[in-house]
Amino acid sequence: MNVPRVVKVTHHFSASPERVFDAWLDPQTAGKWLFATPTGQRVRVEIDARVGGRFAIVDLRGGEEVEHLGEYLQIDRPRRLVFTFGVPKYSPLFTQVTIDIAASGSGCDLTLTQEDVPPEYLERNEGGWIAILAGLAKLIAENS
Amino acid sequence: MLRELASGEHNIGELAAPFKMSFAAASKHVKVLEGAGLLRRRVQGRWHFCRIEPAPLAAADRWLRFYQRFWTEQLDRLDALLQAEDRPPSNPSPRKRAKP
Repeated sequence: MNVPRVVKVTHHFSASPERVFDAWLDPQTAGKWLFATPTGQRVRVEIDARVGGRFAIVDLRGGEEVEHLGEYLQIDRPRRLVFTFGVPKYSPLFTQVTIDIAASGSGCDLTLTQEDVPPEYLERNEGGWIAILAGLAKLIAENS
Repeated sequence: MLRELASGEHNIGELAAPFKMSFAAASKHVKVLEGAGLLRRRVQGRWHFCRIEPAPLAAADRWLRFYQRFWTEQLDRLDALLQAEDRPPSNPSPRKRAKP
């Protein structure tokens, strides 16, 4: 069984790679869009834009504060940004998000990859159930 | 084994039979599936009845769909913001952008 475990989204921007890259790390710009929802209200934007630095972007939604937290793992302007990402209000687990930006014409193509469906959904034991299912599929094939 | 389980509730002996598997081996597999949250076990006396638990699969799928949409909307939002910054203000109101 082949279960996709990665979220991948691409988008073309007419803006330069540098501008698109900076929009993720500049608190002023990021505050205007990142993790924003049409109904939410921005409460706090903290960005410590260095490897090992953390971010906290907080929204007020329906009277409740929703925190988006993470840590920067790789900052390679304007090509690549890697950070961990979690929303503790909904799940204690963090996933890894990679932003790849490649110049394209006068703009750029951005590819966002979010890796690893939280283990609470997929891996309830050390091997992970994909390995278990692969083993079972093999077992079933051998026995039938 | 999952295919067998999909057809309803079975005891471990029934699950093991088609695979010429020992009860102990089947029990081990059941334990693994149970640990992975893919199987639910109901114990009645000395019988263990097993039933497939599709929820984790569905949850993973929901998670992926949610974030696919979430990031798509995020990038649309960023694009709209950058394009708005490029447009000259239509009226001579003071600019909101901070000085560098």
